[in-house]
Formats: sequence, C-alpha cells, structure tokens
Amino acid sequence: MSRSMETKAFELICYMVTSACNLLNENRLYGPFRLVDAAQRLIIILEEEGIESPRLQEMRERIAAGKYSVMDDEALFTDYLQDLVVALVPFMDQESE
Amino acid sequence: MEVMQAILERRSVRSYRPEPVSDEVLLRLIEAGVWAPSGGNAQTWRFVVITDPASIRRVKMLSPGLLGNPPAVIAVCQDLSEAERRGASLGKEMLSVMDSAMAAQNIMLAAFAEGLGSCVVRSFHPDGVRRLLKLPANIVPNLLISIGVPDSIPRPPKRNLDVTWFQEYTEHE
Repeated sequence: MSRSMETKAFELICYMVTSACNLLNENRLYGPFRLVDAAQRLIIILEEEGIESPRLQEMRERIAAGKYSVMDDEALFTDYLQDLVVALVPFMDQESE
Repeated sequence: MEVMQAILERRSVRSYRPEPVSDEVLLRLIEAGVWAPSGGNAQTWRFVVITDPASIRRVKMLSPGLLGNPPAVIAVCQDLSEAERRGASLGKEMLSVMDSAMAAQNIMLAAFAEGLGSCVVRSFHPDGVRRLLKLPANIVPNLLISIGVPDSIPRPPKRNLDVTWFQEYTEHE
C-alpha cells in the first residue's frame, strides 16, 4: 500500500524530533550522522513523489555510500562530510526546472 | 556452527530483504536469549516480538538507530519491579541492564546461525516505545534488535585487540 506524502513527511519528522531528543545523550558523531541520514530520507521521499534531479540523486548516492563510516572511523567520517559539502558546490548553479 | 565462527562473523546489519522471519524461528531466537546468564538468576527479561509492518514502522519513528526495513524487531525489556524484588537496587539498576545485553548477544548469535542478520539498537526513545508497545510502567525496553535476511553485510570494523592484561594492569609503553 502506498503511503501518502503527508505520512512520509510525518515519519521523517518523527525521526528528526526523536533524534534531537536522543542526541542530548548520545555519541557526538551521531548528530552529523542523523542530519545526513535525514537528508537522504528527504531525497528518497521527494523522488518517490516524482521530484527527481541529477543533483538530488548524486547527493543521495554520496550520502548512502559513506554515512556508515561513522561506525568505523571518525577521521574517515569527518573527511566524508567535508567531501559531501564540497560536492554540493558545483550543483549550486543548476536551477531545477 | 562453531560458536567462535558466529562471534567473529556476526555483523551489525542495517539493510534487510523483505522476506518475513517465521514465528518459529523468532521463538528459537528468544529461547537462545533466555538461556543467557542472568544476575542472581533473576531472569526478569521480557521480550516483545514485533512483526506487523505498521507496528515496526511506528517503532522506527521513535527509534533513530533502527535502520533499514527489518521484517522483525525484538524489544528486549526488563520487569524492573521484579528485578528490584529479586536483586534490590543492584538488580534493578545494573544487573537488569547487563542481563538484557547478554540475552541480546545470544539472540544475535542464534540469528546468525539461522542465516539471519541483526543489529542491536539503543538509539530509541524508551518512554515513547514503551507506550507504543503498551508496556506497563514497570516494564522498560532496554534494547531493540532488528532481525531479517541481510540485503548487504557490512565489512568488519577495526578491532583493538590490545586491551588485555594478565595478573595486573600496567600502563602500556
């Protein structure tokens, strides 16, 4: 059964709000992790709703490819986040139709 | 399956295939859990097995650490009233938590032996999950374990093996 946009948005909001509460007492690296994970979840919702673009797809794939490095290696995760931001820059001039 | 093989090869799985896990298998995993050591033999753990997709989705909404779409989730809970009656404050505040962790490890190793993946999670909102699962106030969820057929298995994380001393602790050079 397909879920409505409102339901998907509500689930994402639950994830973000619960994360905000839990992060008060969690590993400090989980904050950045939850943020990029939320960004990936948002892109997936948009794509499911027919809002797609090469830059959104690229960011979704980049996030998915490296987010779990948070579990392995702090330095690797830090570099991954830096690279993620740098990867945004070339996309900024591309206005979506 | 050799115990050591399961210990070394079990990974925290965060991506699952949609195939369901049968109640029969899930009950075997719980059986493995209840054979874990228990402080003072209190055995105050309680397990809530969640397989209804809508229920899992609701639990996920309050569990940021519960990643992927597992077909089953086991909530490892403790009856704190009973834990206190059996073990006083030590039982309620410490042994109950340790018991949950030991039961969870047994469950995950048994899942591995069944060809299933698992991931133990503490990143959830305990009071919110308690309400979702309709647990009375004295039953608290300590851990959630996602269970399912792995869609992908993460590579082994680095392990620091330089953590052991014989006879007495000394500062490493």
